[in-house]
Amino acid sequence: MNTFMDKLENVLMPVADKLNNNRYLTALRNGFMVALPLIIFGSIFVVIANLPIEDFIGEEAYSTLQDTLGPASAATLSIMGLFVILGIGYKMVEQREGESIYGAAVALGAFLILTPQVVDEVSGVIPTSALSAQGMFLGIFTAFIAAELYQYFVSKNFTIKMPAGVPSAVSRSFSALIPITFTLTIFLAIRIIFDYTPFETVQNFIYTVIQEPLTALGSGLPATLIAVLLIQVFWFFGLHGQIIINSVLDPIWYTLNDQNYQAFQAGEELPNIVTKQFIDTFIVGIGGSGMTLAVLIAIFVVAKSRQMRELGKLGIGSGVFNVNEPVIFGLPIIMNPLVIIPWLLAPVIVAAVTYFSMSIGFVPKPSGVIVYWTTPPVLSGYLATGNHIMGGVMQLINMGIVFMIWLPFLKVMDKQYYEKEKNAA
Amino acid sequence: MKRILLACSAGMSTSLLVSKMEEEARERGIETKIWAVAQDKATEEMKEADVLLLGPQMRFMKKKLDGPAQEQGIPLDVIDPVSYGRINGKAVLDKALELIGD
Repeated sequence: MNTFMDKLENVLMPVADKLNNNRYLTALRNGFMVALPLIIFGSIFVVIANLPIEDFIGEEAYSTLQDTLGPASAATLSIMGLFVILGIGYKMVEQREGESIYGAAVALGAFLILTPQVVDEVSGVIPTSALSAQGMFLGIFTAFIAAELYQYFVSKNFTIKMPAGVPSAVSRSFSALIPITFTLTIFLAIRIIFDYTPFETVQNFIYTVIQEPLTALGSGLPATLIAVLLIQVFWFFGLHGQIIINSVLDPIWYTLNDQNYQAFQAGEELPNIVTKQFIDTFIVGIGGSGMTLAVLIAIFVVAKSRQMRELGKLGIGSGVFNVNEPVIFGLPIIMNPLVIIPWLLAPVIVAAVTYFSMSIGFVPKPSGVIVYWTTPPVLSGYLATGNHIMGGVMQLINMGIVFMIWLPFLKVMDKQYYEKEKNAA
Repeated sequence: MKRILLACSAGMSTSLLVSKMEEEARERGIETKIWAVAQDKATEEMKEADVLLLGPQMRFMKKKLDGPAQEQGIPLDVIDPVSYGRINGKAVLDKALELIGD
């Protein structure tokens, strides 16, 4: 068993290393981190604007409330792609210790060059849809390429050298001039070339050829179950599965999330079940990866051994806020053959049950607001489904499922610990 | 003054350790500054630190951080998973002090 485990770990470590330390994926993750505070700000006001108080304050006051709070999310959550682009451009150049603010500027400039600035034959406008889910993938790729080109031209030293004595701020502003001019010229050329293709715009090309197929795949149950399983496998070896898998899937999950948000705001039917919040709220957000809050509750219910009871006390405080390293390393879950079955199985079953419950309409689909991952369960479920009590109920059901799957295995483990303690005493 | 930096994915789970380690250091009368950061801040923050310890779940970061740590001339290691799970402030503090050396 041990040599097999070692072998598997030898495979997983380099994968974790590659995915987490890859330059592009790092910039992508950190770029999303830049956007996150704004996304959360917007989400808070979507939640407030949709509180179930229409019956108390009347229809008119309710719609006034919604209109008044509208700009909060319209300026942030609705155009989150904009902040992601700035973040990626900035972080890409920062990695190379260049002047990162120019990375952000050139990424945004390149993206806007590729963006059609006509809506219904009115020119001089940028459709907000281009800055949201629809333009997400184009934004990401553009930011990568623009920042790389910018860095390339900087490294080629095509900069204008200023004579000594010129204030450094002045020469710095010139130093970015040539790299940015070259980079944006390339993007202008790309735009012009695409005018002559059947796709007409780059936006349309990326959307049709990359974004749509990938999001269609990512919104399906099979891919989701595989992702959930992989997160568990990484964690079983004590590697942060969430960080590793999210590096790759976040763009897809955020895009799906945003499609739901746009539909939610428009009062239309929500298109997706699997979204960022589906994973974060209904699978991970019940005590952390593996939904260990239910495991802790099971420990409080059945455990006799001192070791387990102490672990329960140690883990519960942070567990409520979805931080579960004490359980993962303390129970321990890592490399523990006794718990591998419930550890791998429970989240996969919960994901399938949640998916099914949402597809038959028993529980509303995630509304597209982003609920910060440390929000305690039940509350987070309520918030993530557009203030719907069934979101919280779903989390309780999921906890019950995890509890039942874990119970027999915990009992075996507890008995072993208990007997060891008795013999030692 | 011993400056001990801990890093994990978001700086959440390592922050559990921080308070336990501070408690232990106070009892021993050692003057310390102990803080936890998210992984992307580790390179920047290590300029202020005498030692950097990583959460075991982020041990794949070690390869990437080894270079910057060497440049700063500070030791870098991964926290032992058992001490991590038990939030054993004493063991991790011992480890940090041992790495810093005297």
